[in-house]
Amino acid sequence: MPASPRLNKFLFVVYSLVTIGVFVGALVSPSVRAVAYAPLRDLLLPPPKPIVVSVLYSTEKAAWITEAVARFEASRPSIDGRPVQLELKKMGSREMYLSVLDGDEQPDLISPASMLQISLLQDLSQSKFGTPVVNPADSEVCQPVLKTPLVLVAWKDRADVLWGDDPNGRMWRRLHDALTNPSGWGAYDHPEWGYIKFGHTNPLKSNSGFQTVLLMTYNYFGKTRGLTGADILSDADYQRWLIEFEGTISKFGDSTGTYMEEIIAYGPSLYDFVAVYEATAIEQAENAVGRYGELQVYYPPATHMSDHPFCVLEAEWVAPEEARGAQMFVDFLTDREMQELALLEYGFRPVDTGIPLDQSGSPLQRYAANGLRIDLPPEVEVPPGNVLSTLLDFWARNVQP
Amino acid sequence: MMKVYFKRVVMWVVLATLLTGCGMVPPLVGKTVTVSIFYGSEKEEWLEPLVEAYNNQKHKTEEGSTIVVEVTPMGSIESANAIIAQEIQPTVWSPASSVYIPVANAGWRRQHAEDLVVGTPEDLVLSPVVIAMWQPMAEALGWPDKSLGWADIAQLATSEEGWAAFGYPEWGTFKFGHTHPNHSNSGIVSVIAETYAGVGKQRGLTLQDLNDPDLKAFVADVESSIIHYGRSTGFFAERMFERGPSYLSAAVLYENLIVAQESKRLAGESFQLPVVAIYPKEGTFWSNHPYAILNAPWVTDEQRVAAEDFLAFLLDKPQQLKALEYGFRPADPAIPLSAPLDMAHGVDPSQPQTVLEVPSADAIAGIEQLWREVKKPVDLVVVMDVSGSMRGDKIASARNSLIQFINVLDDRDRLQIVLFSDDLIELTPMSALGEKRDDITRRVSGIVEGGDTRLYDAVQMAYEEIDANGDPQHIRAIVVLSDGEDTASNQTLGQLVPRISAQSESGTATKIFTIAFGDRADRDVLRQIAEPTGGKQYDSDPRTIQDVYAEIATFF
Repeated sequence: MPASPRLNKFLFVVYSLVTIGVFVGALVSPSVRAVAYAPLRDLLLPPPKPIVVSVLYSTEKAAWITEAVARFEASRPSIDGRPVQLELKKMGSREMYLSVLDGDEQPDLISPASMLQISLLQDLSQSKFGTPVVNPADSEVCQPVLKTPLVLVAWKDRADVLWGDDPNGRMWRRLHDALTNPSGWGAYDHPEWGYIKFGHTNPLKSNSGFQTVLLMTYNYFGKTRGLTGADILSDADYQRWLIEFEGTISKFGDSTGTYMEEIIAYGPSLYDFVAVYEATAIEQAENAVGRYGELQVYYPPATHMSDHPFCVLEAEWVAPEEARGAQMFVDFLTDREMQELALLEYGFRPVDTGIPLDQSGSPLQRYAANGLRIDLPPEVEVPPGNVLSTLLDFWARNVQP
Repeated sequence: MMKVYFKRVVMWVVLATLLTGCGMVPPLVGKTVTVSIFYGSEKEEWLEPLVEAYNNQKHKTEEGSTIVVEVTPMGSIESANAIIAQEIQPTVWSPASSVYIPVANAGWRRQHAEDLVVGTPEDLVLSPVVIAMWQPMAEALGWPDKSLGWADIAQLATSEEGWAAFGYPEWGTFKFGHTHPNHSNSGIVSVIAETYAGVGKQRGLTLQDLNDPDLKAFVADVESSIIHYGRSTGFFAERMFERGPSYLSAAVLYENLIVAQESKRLAGESFQLPVVAIYPKEGTFWSNHPYAILNAPWVTDEQRVAAEDFLAFLLDKPQQLKALEYGFRPADPAIPLSAPLDMAHGVDPSQPQTVLEVPSADAIAGIEQLWREVKKPVDLVVVMDVSGSMRGDKIASARNSLIQFINVLDDRDRLQIVLFSDDLIELTPMSALGEKRDDITRRVSGIVEGGDTRLYDAVQMAYEEIDANGDPQHIRAIVVLSDGEDTASNQTLGQLVPRISAQSESGTATKIFTIAFGDRADRDVLRQIAEPTGGKQYDSDPRTIQDVYAEIATFF
């Protein structure tokens, strides 16, 4: 039986009121917007104000981030009906925390190469503002997203002469002794290789150089945790050892990627050994084939992870919805899809432990013959920010060219 | 009717104004931003066509300006000095290698608070510095089984027997060459490498090392085998490959120049012996062609962005692949080192095995000074036309530029000046410049013109003089400046040429450089005098004479 004209009229009025109510509601709260009739909504309502999340990230993971951001945006992320937009800026890890400290940048989310810079920023911002802008202890707002250990890449024939297949616990000491030997490779019956050449980036400017100096230092003291300022400042033998070591390096560059490119482009003439990230070595592994010889990856006796933390800042310029937007992006990055992409395409180790490192297509397996391995040596402890500052200051005063 | 027409006109004018106002009609002449680049001439063949292609693509900056790239080849050291003196103000400096960057920064900092080149510039293309040698000669030294180095070259250079010690007396003495260290990258790195060989080090060269008297003697010995210096490595290579083994036994060049020559020879375009690259066993340097966007006040932000855009173009794969064709090793590590970088083209892509450490700016300055003190001296005769046709600004500019030319010569160099018109007048005899510098400057300032032109007789006299009194251990050269035809000589050109070119095939023979001064000079005759001796003929006038003298000076 068809509805009576009266009922029709009633239904029409109710429908109209609900529609108008939804539209008015959408004006007041963007979260109601999604319910409104789409063609009419886009015609009548002003677009919802987006939540803009500004992100500073370190250069090493640029390729993965670019891909991840494209996928994130394609998923049309929103919070309470407001779209989440990302404003990304790529910079060096040191430049990043300094620009936050100086107030040149006011990001919602930062991601330097490792926790070392977060630790420094925590310490320095505490001294400067009275309260830290990051809190690495709170995994809700500050969490590692990708991992890659520091490794040495070397020409196999040369490394074989120095330490055979396995540098074991004495790697840094052997390297020190070889580098400082005035006869160079001549002391190892290979005068044709000239003097021994090692390269790492400037620890004041680049994370991998910083990690290298930290690992050398821990190794000198024969420990993997509990490094103190007194170790650095009051042990004259250590100081001499480090200065000698670093004195054999004539140039400290800014970019880790450049070292890997140079050892491939210039061959063994320019570097016998360079300290780079495992992911950097993987990125260039294919290019190294069939050039000057065989490049091999060596893991130091204890390593340090670049863990690419993403930390939401605790600062007055971070609005609550921006913090939520930032967290949403971090959740996306730690999703299985993005983590697998990082491993298979970009050679990073996922933080998601459920992803097998030995799965087919994993570069860790593909380049196993080049020394890449799944199990890692123990990690050193990240010392407090003030100890890190002491180490950097010591380097700046005594080594910096 | 008139009214309708008027209305239409008004309508079109209003429409045109609106459209232009809205920016819908592009301006007839667009804005441009110019990126000027001074670069080491060795990459000319690769770079120039790329500049043309890039400019044709009409790249734009964000501000909408079309990017125009302008490039000028210049010796790396020469361009560094010109930038520091602000004689040139390029956006980008791309020398042959990074070796000289610290020295350039040190020079710049004398007047500026910051470095001229900040950070590490990107490499464009790579090529190791090598010793280019004719293959049979390299084989006589034990190549390829024996590794050779700077010390072997030094030993050969200082041996009195020369090639006879290796069973080849017919090759004569060892004739060696590198470019002028004050002008060209390969020149300065050659002297740095000689210094390392002299002190037996591969790194850690100090200023104290440079004071060692034995080192001085060593570098002097090596330099004694130099036939002459030169402004650019490319030109030097051309000389060697044109004139063959009797002219030069070996020269310090870049690997890519050998690949280019061998490609020519294999294609039947050159009939010389094959030439090979010796990678010095003690180590060498890389020519890495850094692309430095200058941190100079004249470089605008827009130019910087435009320069970055051109850099990205040069580092792009197609352009990097092109570099391989010219014998360079691409800076892009993704491009494999394949043909023509192979033994068939005289080079070994698995070399070099090691480098020498780039010394500090102070040490490099010290090495330049050391070289000045021990470099091979020159015996030089300047033959100058003072006939009547030289009157006016010609004689004035010839006098001034000659004084400047004399100023760049060292006190140990020996100089004779002959003036010719109706007569041949010896302004000063062949003797060391040190003791007579002031006197000569005064005399040159007083040169006056008048009379006929006895060109051939003057050249003949200069040649006989240098043959009789010149020291064969010195670089011997004659510089002839003439503005007209021979009108009064006792001999003909046909009689002169065989006399002056008797030993021309030898690199150590006297070279004659001729300058055709002004439009009336007989270029053809002057070329016939210069070229058989291994010298060169230049065109000049009162405006350019100084540059010509400066160019000739790079041989010494």
